[in-house]
Amino acid sequence: MTRIAAFLLGAALTAAPALAQIGNPAGMAPDTRLDEPGKPAPHQTNTQDRLFAQLAAAGGLAEVQLGEMARDKAEAESVRDFAAMMVEDHGAANARLAELAEAVRIPLPQEPAPDQQALRERLEAAERTAFDLAYVRAQVVEHQKTAQLLAWEVGQGQDGEIQRFAAEQLPVVLGHLEQAQRLNAELSGAGGPAR
Amino acid sequence: MSARHAFVLLCAASLAGIGAARADPLPPDTTYRPLPTMPLSRARALDEAQKPQVMERQRALLERRYDLSDQPRQGMMMSGGTKPVQDGVRVKLPEGSSWDALAGMAPAEIREQGLLPQGFLPLPHVKQATGGQVFPELQIDAIAQQEQRDLRRFDVEADLPVHLTPEFPPPIFLTTQPQLGDVSRGELLTIRNYYEIMNGLITPVQMEGLRLLLTPFPQEEFNQTEDRKVAQPSLGVACLDCHSNFHSNAAFHLTPDVRPQANRFRLDTTSLRGMFNQQIHGSKRSLRSIEDFTEFEQRTAYFNGDHVSATRKGVNLPDRPNQVAMMAQMQNIIDFPPAPKLDPFGRLDPALASESELAGEQVFLGKGRCAECHRPETAFMDNQMHDLKLERFYKPGQVANDMVTLPDGPIKTFTLRGIKDSPPYLHDGRLLTLADTVEYFNLVLSTRLTQDEKDDLLAYLLTL
Repeated sequence: MTRIAAFLLGAALTAAPALAQIGNPAGMAPDTRLDEPGKPAPHQTNTQDRLFAQLAAAGGLAEVQLGEMARDKAEAESVRDFAAMMVEDHGAANARLAELAEAVRIPLPQEPAPDQQALRERLEAAERTAFDLAYVRAQVVEHQKTAQLLAWEVGQGQDGEIQRFAAEQLPVVLGHLEQAQRLNAELSGAGGPAR
Repeated sequence: MSARHAFVLLCAASLAGIGAARADPLPPDTTYRPLPTMPLSRARALDEAQKPQVMERQRALLERRYDLSDQPRQGMMMSGGTKPVQDGVRVKLPEGSSWDALAGMAPAEIREQGLLPQGFLPLPHVKQATGGQVFPELQIDAIAQQEQRDLRRFDVEADLPVHLTPEFPPPIFLTTQPQLGDVSRGELLTIRNYYEIMNGLITPVQMEGLRLLLTPFPQEEFNQTEDRKVAQPSLGVACLDCHSNFHSNAAFHLTPDVRPQANRFRLDTTSLRGMFNQQIHGSKRSLRSIEDFTEFEQRTAYFNGDHVSATRKGVNLPDRPNQVAMMAQMQNIIDFPPAPKLDPFGRLDPALASESELAGEQVFLGKGRCAECHRPETAFMDNQMHDLKLERFYKPGQVANDMVTLPDGPIKTFTLRGIKDSPPYLHDGRLLTLADTVEYFNLVLSTRLTQDEKDDLLAYLLTL
């Protein structure tokens, strides 16, 4: 028991920095309920949290749909592998985000955003290597935008759990971005990632 | 082409969506500062309630990353003789590792195993979500006493122990009066005393520049709006509130050049000594003259690179032909502190330097590769920006105290003249001592220095 307690304590200490998101109260919703002075009660979302959840959910849906398409359709094995990873990683993230949104009663979109749907149509019309390149280039852009969106939620959100979700996704999304840049380099001869 | 044809073409173009954006942009406050939603009194109460937690979280981060103890280096004072230089490597090693073991590993290995010492990572602001200028206690007290102006924020305070910051007030050396040495009289220059201290030493034009550099103007956290972080409506801050006596008091800020907020890196105040030899200004902006920098800081250092917010809170825009020129001319006569062991080419005089210092110079010029950017003949700068690519050693995107840890990208080369006076080091102040900088660059540049070479290099840096 002592050992388990010690382990739990250790885990809590390691996790402590990530738990303590501290925002600028000037940007809090005026009706925010507080646990103690200065500390919003759990599940107190602000406008940014709610918009983030919408945008991230639509983007996540698009990632899975496009990934499923590319997993079957792409010519290059490396692109098919990447697409399979998108289906898996974004599928898991979407499920987690859905839980978080459910807890704070944010209704999430059931479809990707209009520009993502238009992208899907463009990709459906593309074939073979042209498809691979179009998919990978779109992945670079989508992951660039997602990385900025996640950082935005880390800075401007209010619900600790949603912010933590964004913080956890950020290194993953930056990793995806780097891989998409590498694939783009491989397929097109463009310059790869900086590192 | 008839008018009708032109109309048809125009319609066709708009139907095809030429020139029209096809996707929704990211939310506006990814780039712009949002307007506050909470009344000041309530935001202040919440800020004050959060403050102990904010400071404790930052203290814990600093303790995890660094040895913050007071360990002065024997017999080594800063140029004004009022504060000892701190000794020793302060960045903590990961458990079971050593500096030599790390230096022997490939960057990818360190990255994969997560072995980069945390103190080498970008240092977060105490409160990333709000950011802004944070002044050290000594500066706050001096300005309160002399000017009855309040530089104390109700949400945060400075985080570094005072022994790890520059001496205060720092000495002032003028290029126009080298025979006089330090002309500060041990005082902090303020709007109250500058005339008394400087009359007879500088020209009328320089005097007017100095007055402007000491005049408070509205700033993002120090103004009259509900968005301020100071108790009473404030006249603002002065340039020399951070650049105390044209040096630095280790006040810090967030870069104005990056968005969104969580991605902005911390900025440690830069010394203005030797500005006459510096050709590029701003860690990211590479502004090409001190005039450009002086003119634009009212919207960057003061307002985070958000001219919209600046306009709302009352920006002061100095006029270029007169005010900016005079402010620049005053800044351009601030000299480095004397370095008696250096010859006119910035090289050690063998008759004056110790064996260890001379050996250190050889490391600096050769194996250590320091001089490839910090060129002795151009005041230990190269007027370039360089990317050290630290991200070879860690995985970007981790969040530390609400700051996203990201690659630094190119940053301008800072001068090393008078460097012992300017802790903490690097643009964000992530390195606390010169010994830390030696270990940092030894790792990042893969130079594999021996302990003797590191010791000599450190002895050399202290002569600059």
